[in-house]
Amino acid sequence: MTLADLELGARARVTAVGGAGALALRLLEMGFVPGTAIALIKRAPFGDPLEFQVRGCHVSLRRAEAAQIEAVPA
Amino acid sequence: MTALRVALAGNPNVGKTSLFNELTGARHKVGNYAGVTVETREGAVHERLRPARPLTIVDLPGTYSLTPISEDEAVAFRCLAGEGQPPPDVVALVLDAANLARNLYLAAQLIELGRPLVVALNMIDVAAAAGMPVDAAALSRVLGVPVVPTVARTGAGAAELVAAICSLDPVPQVSSPLRARLLAAGPSALAGLGADPARARWLLSAAAAGTLELTGATAAERAALVRLDAAAVRQGAHDLIVARYREVDALLDALGLAASARERAPAMDRSARIDRVLTHRALGLLIFAAVMATIFTSIFTWAEPLMGLIEDGIGWLSGQVKDGLGPGVFTDLVTDGVIAGVGNVLVFVPQIALLFLLLGLLEDSGYMARAAFLIDRLMARVGLHGRAFVPLLSGYACAIPAILGTRTISSPRDRLVTILMIPFMSCSARLPIYVLFISALFPSDESVGPFTVGSLILLAMYALSTASALAAGAIYKRTLLRGPTPPFVLELPPYRLPRVRNTLLHVFDRTAEFVRGAGTVILAMTVVLWALLSFPRPPGPAPEAAPAAMSEQAAADDSPIQHSIGGMIGKAMEPALAPMGQDYRMGIAILGSFAAREVMVSTLGLVYGIEGSDEDDQPLREALRTARNADGSPRHTPLRGLAVMVFFVYACQCMSTIAVVRRETRSWRWPLLMFTTMTALAYVMAVLVFQVGRALGYA
Repeated sequence: MTLADLELGARARVTAVGGAGALALRLLEMGFVPGTAIALIKRAPFGDPLEFQVRGCHVSLRRAEAAQIEAVPA
Repeated sequence: MTALRVALAGNPNVGKTSLFNELTGARHKVGNYAGVTVETREGAVHERLRPARPLTIVDLPGTYSLTPISEDEAVAFRCLAGEGQPPPDVVALVLDAANLARNLYLAAQLIELGRPLVVALNMIDVAAAAGMPVDAAALSRVLGVPVVPTVARTGAGAAELVAAICSLDPVPQVSSPLRARLLAAGPSALAGLGADPARARWLLSAAAAGTLELTGATAAERAALVRLDAAAVRQGAHDLIVARYREVDALLDALGLAASARERAPAMDRSARIDRVLTHRALGLLIFAAVMATIFTSIFTWAEPLMGLIEDGIGWLSGQVKDGLGPGVFTDLVTDGVIAGVGNVLVFVPQIALLFLLLGLLEDSGYMARAAFLIDRLMARVGLHGRAFVPLLSGYACAIPAILGTRTISSPRDRLVTILMIPFMSCSARLPIYVLFISALFPSDESVGPFTVGSLILLAMYALSTASALAAGAIYKRTLLRGPTPPFVLELPPYRLPRVRNTLLHVFDRTAEFVRGAGTVILAMTVVLWALLSFPRPPGPAPEAAPAAMSEQAAADDSPIQHSIGGMIGKAMEPALAPMGQDYRMGIAILGSFAAREVMVSTLGLVYGIEGSDEDDQPLREALRTARNADGSPRHTPLRGLAVMVFFVYACQCMSTIAVVRRETRSWRWPLLMFTTMTALAYVMAVLVFQVGRALGYA
C-alpha cells in the first residue's frame, strides 16, 4: 500500500519513498523516512490534500505525492 | 574589535523571528541577495543583552534543510558555507524543543558543515507543557555543542545565548564524534566531488533534485556529476537523508524522547482540536470564506479613507506649491510631475500595509497554512499551489499589494505564473471606467429579469477577467513556465497567538521596500507621462479665452491636451483605433491611463475640455452621450463603449504594476512580456467585440 490508501485515523510505517527528483528528497527530509510511523489525520474538504502526522508534526501532502510513499499498516 | 557575524538558522515556525527581534532590539536592515527575492535581515545585538564583544546577527530564511530544493535553502547554504561572501563566524541554530524529531535534521546538516555552532533550544515551556521536557545539558552532550534554553516570546534566555556565542571558541569543530559519524555515511557517489564533505553532499543532493542551477557549481563539479549514473546519484542523496535521520533517532533515544517525539505529536494536540472547526469540511470552508472576505474588504474598502487622506495631502501640497511659485512650466513640473508622482507611490501604502498586516497576523497564527490546505484542490486545477489563492484574490482590489503578496509562494516558477495572472484580475481602478461607460451609454431603465443591463455588463466584465486570469495561468504553466509541479508538502504548524510587534516590523519593512524599490520607477514614469501630455503647449490664446461664439463641440476639440505629444500620438494611432470603434480621443485617454487605469476617466474629461472629472461626472457622461462624428452619427455607442471596457479588462495600463513586477522579478523581461502580450490581447479582444457587434447589426 501507499500513504494515499491510508484510512482516516489509521497508522502505517514507511517502507520506501519512490519517484525521482526534488519531491522524493523533500518527502524524506520532512521525515517520511523508512521506519517512521505515519497517521492520516484529515482529508481537506475537497478530498485532497491529506494531512499526516509525521515525527511530531502535521504535514499536508497531495494525494499524488502521498502515493509516492510505500508503507505497511502499523 | 570587529563584530562577530552570527548566522541565525532554523526551521520555519520555531520562533526565529521573535528571537532575532529580541536579540537586536528590532533594529535591523533588510538585505536581498542578487537575483533572488529571499530576504535576509541583519542587525547588531542590543546593548541591553551585554555582549562581551560586538555581534552582528544575520537572520537566514527559515528552512527545513540545507539541501538546495528551493531558493531559500540555497541562500541559507551559501551564506553558511561562505560562498561569494565571508562565512559567518558562528552559527546559532534555533530548535523547537517541542518538535525535536524533525528539527534535529537541520542540526545534523549544520554539524556536517562544521562551523562553530550554538543551539538555542526554544519553546522549552511548550515542550514541558506537552509532557516532553527536554534536558538542555543532555542535548548539549550528545550534540557536542553549547545548548541554551530560550523562550523567545518572553525574551528568556536571550542574554545567556549571547554569552554562549561570545565565549565560543571560533574554530571549526572538526573533532566532534557526531560529525565524524555523519560524515562516515558517505555514499560512493560522493567520491570525486571535491574535498569539502558538506559541499560534496550539497552538490549530490542538488543533482538528485535537478536544482544544480541553485548551487553555483563549477564547470569541473558539473562535469563530475554528469559522469555519475543517475540512479546512483538518486540513491546516494536518499542514503544521506536516511543516515542523518538515523543519527537523529539515536539522539532522541539518548534524550529519552524516542517514542513520544517520533510516533506522536503531543505539541499538536491543541491545534488538532482547533482544526476540528477551522478545517472542518463545511464550517472550515465558511470560515475560510469569511477570512478571505475580510482580507478583500480591507484593501478594497478599509484602505480607501487612508488613500483619500494621502490624495488630499498631495493635493494640498500641490496647491501650496502652486500658490508659492505662481503659474508656469516649472510649477507644473513640480506639481503635476514630481508631487503627483510621489502621490502615485504613496497612494499604495495603505493597501500594502493593510494586506501585509492581515497576512502577517494570519501567517503567524498558523492559519495561512490551513487556508492553503483548504483551497489547494481548486488551485491545483490551474496547476498552482494553495498559497496562490490570497494573492489572486487580492488582485481584484489592486495588483500592487497582490504582487508583493506572492512572496509566500516558495516555488519561483509558480510565483512568476501568479504574478503574470494577477494583472488580469479586474482591479478597483478599472471600476470607474466600467461605471463611466455603463452609466453614460447604457439605459438605466432597461433590465433583464430583476437585473439592470448595466449590472449584468459589469458582472460580465468581472467574469471575463477571472476566466482570462485562470486561462493565462494555465497557458503559462504549459508553455513558457512549464516544469514539474513543485512539491506541495506543507507543514500545518501549531496555532499560536501572533506577535503583533513582529508583524508590524514586517509590514514596515515591506512597505518601505516598495517605496524605495518601485517608487523611483513610478515617479520617473509620472514625470515622463506628464511631459507627454503637456508639451508642446497649445498655440494662441488659452481655451477659456476662446470666443464665446465657438460651439461647445469645437471648444472641446481644441482642448490643450490635444496639442501635446500625447495628443499627436493619439491622432497617429487613429487608424489602429478605428477597427475597435474608437477615434484619437480614446487614444489619448488610453495613453493617459498608463499612470493608473482610473486616470483614463479624467484624461477623457480633459480631451472633452472638462477639468477634474470622475466617473460620476454628469458633464462628462453628457459629453459622451451627445458627441457626434462629422457625419452626425453618435461617436460613442453602447457597442463602442463595450469595446473600450473589454479593452480595459485586458490592457496592462498601469505603470505601477510594471514597476512592481520589475522589482519582484529583478528584470525588465517579465514586465515587458506582460505589457506587450496583455496590450495585444486587449486590442484583439476589443476589435473582436466591435467587429462581431457590427456584423450583428449594432452600430
